[in-house]
Amino acid sequence: MIEVTGVVKTYLRGSTEVRALRGLTCHIPPAALTFIVGPSGSGKSSLLYLLGALDRPSSGEIVVQGRSLSQFDRRERDLYRRDQVGFVFQNFNLLSNLNAVDNVLVPYLPQGVSRERRSEAEDLLRHVGLGDRLDHRPSQLSGGEQQRVAIARALLKRPLLILADEPTGELDSESGAEVYRYLRGLRDEQGSTVVVVTHDQSHIQPGDNVLTLRDGRLAGA
Amino acid sequence: MPLRTLQLRRMFRFALKNLLSRPVRSLLALCGLTVAIAGMVGLFSVAEGIEDTVSTTFGKVPGLTVMQPGAPIPLFSRIPAGWGDEIRAVKGVHVVHPEVWSRAHVIDGKPTISPPRFLFGSDLKQADRLRYSVYREGIKEGRALTAADRGTHNALVSRAIAEEFKKTIGETLRVDGRDCEIVGIYEAQSLFLDVAIILDIDLVRSMARVGPESVSNFYVEPDQGADRKQLADSLKALFRGRAPDSWQPAQALATELAGQKSEGNPLSGLIETLGGALLNPPSKADAAKADTESSDGDSPAERPGVSPGTLGEAPGNEPPRRDAGLTAELPVEIRSPEDWAGEFKRFSQDLDVFLLLMTSIGVTIAFVGIVNTMLMSVTERFIEFGILKANGWSSGEVLRLIAFESALLGLAGGIVGSIVGWIATLVINAHWPTRIHLYASPSLLLFSLAFSTILGVLGGLYPALRAARMMPMDAIRRG
Repeated sequence: MIEVTGVVKTYLRGSTEVRALRGLTCHIPPAALTFIVGPSGSGKSSLLYLLGALDRPSSGEIVVQGRSLSQFDRRERDLYRRDQVGFVFQNFNLLSNLNAVDNVLVPYLPQGVSRERRSEAEDLLRHVGLGDRLDHRPSQLSGGEQQRVAIARALLKRPLLILADEPTGELDSESGAEVYRYLRGLRDEQGSTVVVVTHDQSHIQPGDNVLTLRDGRLAGA
Repeated sequence: MPLRTLQLRRMFRFALKNLLSRPVRSLLALCGLTVAIAGMVGLFSVAEGIEDTVSTTFGKVPGLTVMQPGAPIPLFSRIPAGWGDEIRAVKGVHVVHPEVWSRAHVIDGKPTISPPRFLFGSDLKQADRLRYSVYREGIKEGRALTAADRGTHNALVSRAIAEEFKKTIGETLRVDGRDCEIVGIYEAQSLFLDVAIILDIDLVRSMARVGPESVSNFYVEPDQGADRKQLADSLKALFRGRAPDSWQPAQALATELAGQKSEGNPLSGLIETLGGALLNPPSKADAAKADTESSDGDSPAERPGVSPGTLGEAPGNEPPRRDAGLTAELPVEIRSPEDWAGEFKRFSQDLDVFLLLMTSIGVTIAFVGIVNTMLMSVTERFIEFGILKANGWSSGEVLRLIAFESALLGLAGGIVGSIVGWIATLVINAHWPTRIHLYASPSLLLFSLAFSTILGVLGGLYPALRAARMMPMDAIRRG
């Protein structure tokens, strides 16, 4: 599914150059739940963002389903993010001025939202237990509920790849377990490839793929 | 509904939601734009007010005015009274109405500095013959002056003057030491016309010390169906080649009058002298002639109490002297309503430049303000744009969203600013009806609206480009 070869990522934090990834090479299998673990600053999130084309590698190559992301033009990159990748962020990243349904529909707002798609978004929110919260704004939802809205947003596009960055980082254990139930269900029902960056390894189960990063390199798989 | 329309509607609604969800910031940006656009409407309404007054005024005065060349208005013009008979004989002339204009300096003991008030001496016999008279048509109370009022102190006054001095029909208005009985009140609905006290021409002559040989101007009403341009050409032909020394220059007269009037009111004399000097500078021909006369040591101006045009017989009684070799210039100027409008347009051109400069400053401040507002807004929302891009929004779509938001702000600022500016012009006009006339035309309001919208879009463009060019994670990290 995904081949990462010799990827280097450096960026500036103020005037300091940060080397997040230092020639990382790894493989992520399709239709699997892959955990990226490692200490803070090991480059976990940087790798996740590169996989989702949210950022560009300084060098190296990432190939998704046989196509190199670096060969995508701007439009293909946008379409890849919109149609094939679902993101779940630690801090949810919902838009504060939109209600739950519109937050789920965000990827499709510029194209116009059909009645069918709106109905689908509402069904998804009901599916994640937010049937009575459809017109609530993020500020009216708890952390767990916000993360479920973010998951519903990722589910709506039936993505090939779901990228989750510390999805339970701000949730209690019960809500966290629920989030993982949804992610595993997505993999099982839709055959999506799910990649999760986490510090909390308690949710890893036998059969899950685990990549351990240290200092921007693969320390174990 | 077509998909494209649906997309635009969604984007519009999303942009509107974004603005409404940040009410304080949106309101501040709106206030900045409103002030700038209202200011712009206000400034341009001054120029439009002048144009509107000019077109309204001269639309009501359909005939031709024969007056001294270069005099900005009849008040500063003097021409021989005798020329009226010659004009009357020209084919196509229906009525020649001699007029004498002067300033009313003191009314009911009150000096009339601003707004100015004018004495309009009308040849009432000729006025009766006019098919159309703006003052007669504008009678609101009482009656117009007729030939029967000749030799009396009866007056027709504008409503503005009647209201200012709290007078009504039958009451007496004391003007420059003369008691004038108000027999009629008119309203022409023009700032230029609603300033007069209309009296018998002989009375105004004596009040303004204008001799019977001079008038300010002739108002010429053409025959019904006569071509006004052709008539103007005929009148020019009548006077072409006539020597300019057969009439009394206004400047000399103004100086002389200023000296005489200063006995009653020194300030009015000074103003009239200044007015004469500023608004009616001597032509080169006059200057050359003055030099020649002064070198002879026998200049009429040097002889107290004798004006150049009154030497010997009154010039109106002299046979017209034609001397094409002396000058190709006409001793009179024939002005049609269009000429008047053009004259005032030239007069207001400097004002337009000033207003343009003032507006440019206002617009620059508004532009910098909206760029600043949009930049702050966009910088604060980098995470939001990062999220949108992470969800597949293209740079163009982010750009469009911000452009929609700033266009909406610009449009709202334009609407509110235009309304505020327009209401301000109405309030000012109502508060100082006799002093100022501001006019915000529909085209000015529409222009302001479009301008504000464009300003909004341009103001939002730079920050929008900055946001749209970022990689999603750059935007999220910066946020």
